[in-house]
Amino acid sequence: MPWGVQPSRRRFLASASALPILAFAGGAMARSISGTLPWQAFAGEPPKPVNPLGWFFFTPDEVATVEAIVDRLIPADSLSVGGKAAGCAVFIDRQLAGAFGKSSKLYMKGPFANGLPTQGYQGTLTPEGRYRDGLRALNDHVRTGHAKSFAQLAPHDQDAMLAGLESGQLDLKLAQGLSTRAFFELVLQNTMEGFFADPLYGGNKGMVGWKLVGFPGARYDYRDHIEKHNVPYPKGPISIYGES
Amino acid sequence: MKTIAFASLLIATAIVPAQAQSSPQAGGRYQAVLGDCEGCHTAVGGKPFAGGTVLQTPFGKIAVPNITSDHDTGIGSWTEADFRRALREGESPGGERLYPAMPYPAYAQMSDADVASLWAYMKTVAPVHNAVEPNLLPFPFNIRTLMAGWNWLYFKPAPFAPTAGKSADWNRGAYLVNGPGHCGACHAPKTLLGADRSAALTGASLQGWFAPEITGAKPRGIGNWSAGGIATYLKTGWSSHSVATGPMAEVVERSTSQMTDGDLNAIAVYLKDQPAGADMQPASASLRSDPAMQAGGRLYRDNCATCHGADGKGERLIFPPLAGNAILVQSSAESLTRVVLAGAQAAGTKAAPTAPSMPSYAWKFNDAQVANLLTYIRNNWGNAAQAVSAESVGKIRAGLSGGPSLANKE
Repeated sequence: MPWGVQPSRRRFLASASALPILAFAGGAMARSISGTLPWQAFAGEPPKPVNPLGWFFFTPDEVATVEAIVDRLIPADSLSVGGKAAGCAVFIDRQLAGAFGKSSKLYMKGPFANGLPTQGYQGTLTPEGRYRDGLRALNDHVRTGHAKSFAQLAPHDQDAMLAGLESGQLDLKLAQGLSTRAFFELVLQNTMEGFFADPLYGGNKGMVGWKLVGFPGARYDYRDHIEKHNVPYPKGPISIYGES
Repeated sequence: MKTIAFASLLIATAIVPAQAQSSPQAGGRYQAVLGDCEGCHTAVGGKPFAGGTVLQTPFGKIAVPNITSDHDTGIGSWTEADFRRALREGESPGGERLYPAMPYPAYAQMSDADVASLWAYMKTVAPVHNAVEPNLLPFPFNIRTLMAGWNWLYFKPAPFAPTAGKSADWNRGAYLVNGPGHCGACHAPKTLLGADRSAALTGASLQGWFAPEITGAKPRGIGNWSAGGIATYLKTGWSSHSVATGPMAEVVERSTSQMTDGDLNAIAVYLKDQPAGADMQPASASLRSDPAMQAGGRLYRDNCATCHGADGKGERLIFPPLAGNAILVQSSAESLTRVVLAGAQAAGTKAAPTAPSMPSYAWKFNDAQVANLLTYIRNNWGNAAQAVSAESVGKIRAGLSGGPSLANKE
């Protein structure tokens, strides 16, 4: 029997269930354009670089600690400047002061349960809270052993401390649900992001991270190079804001 | 039975265009296309011919009148003689003088037959009640009788006379270019009082754009374009040398893209035969080692080369070429500056409907950067033109209204 004369029960149900969806989509989103595409002079959403001056989240003590950590995670050497000079601490500060710090794009209500290791941190603390608690606990720990803050330790002592955090041999007194290792991994992750994210966000100053690994940045046309196999790309990186 | 029906359908479709051509109304519609009447008299998003657009002239603002057949606010009460006089002599039925923003000095060349045909069409335009006060000009330009003096100085009405010894195409082109097409309204240099300094289409500045030279000059005019290339440009908005944008995009969309191939060819033949304007400055050899050229080259490589190509050749129908593009080597860089600051959109036509656009760079480049970039593209790939100064970019930036993103960053 041809479709349309007497619809089968299955077809009727399928089409009936589609109707409300279609009606909603039609009313909410549809917009028809005829003739040429709409266009406006000066249209555009220029990127907004972070304010490079001052600190928006960290306290002065926290700044000293974080700068010391990022400078050990990415130490200055013959290949590049260190994490501090590259602006990794500035990057992390701006991220914590923004949406990331407050987990404002994540579901942050209960119930809270221990997830699998692959699911990452599952507790109640936002990244702001994890940094605040982790940095406090780190300096508490350092002061009991050395009568100094982390930033005042000699570099090899700092390295030993960080290695302890990473391996889990060193157990900081952290808020419930936050492990020492998870805190370390959060800082390491954000430090790398600060070293390689666009300079717009406060880190990767002078595109040092990109120059180090030979990443060309926000270029997007390689037609003149695509067939030159095994030849290094000759153009230096360019940032979103046009720095080159 | 089916065969007969099909055959009669064929005959019907064959007859329709022939009828359309011959009916006075369709012919008149074509006259309105040739004269680009809608270019001014139909507002963006408005009803056809109902006016209301405000034109920016060097003397102030003029609102475009309603010329639908509405009795009260349009020209529904006019006679054919009234219409002819307004079109060719710049005088409305009340004896009021029109401002030469209405190109009656060009329309004066239109033949009686073409005006009659246009009038037949205008009478069929649906009436729209839309009262427009056209005269927004400041004193003393708001005194219409002053136009009598202007006319005495500049208006030398003469019907079109064919030039002996030139081809039929050339003469048809001359009629279209100087008569209904009123190309000189933008492309001819103006006197201080806004009259054409001469009929030569050597380029002029108007409404914040520089209408380029369109004589046979090489490379500044269209001497390097083939007649077919010019016709293609007018039909589609694109040629292998350039793309129509800004006011020319509107002209292409509303007028030239709807002209017949024969008329477009005639325009091309006539334009290519026009003598060049004053000689251009040759490329300065030192410009290539100039710091401005170096800086401009880096900006080009990082921001422009992706689309326009390191070789400046662009991509057909998407990114206009810069190498050998006449708009780049005009005496004025006004249009170029505007396009870089504000962005631009290509004409969208039936043959080339994409209408790709270039983004705005006002937020990204300061005046000196724009100047360096323009100096570079005006003097690379065989192009040669005067360097552009940061001051001239600053003046154009100040004259454009584009919100906070326009600020010149230090």
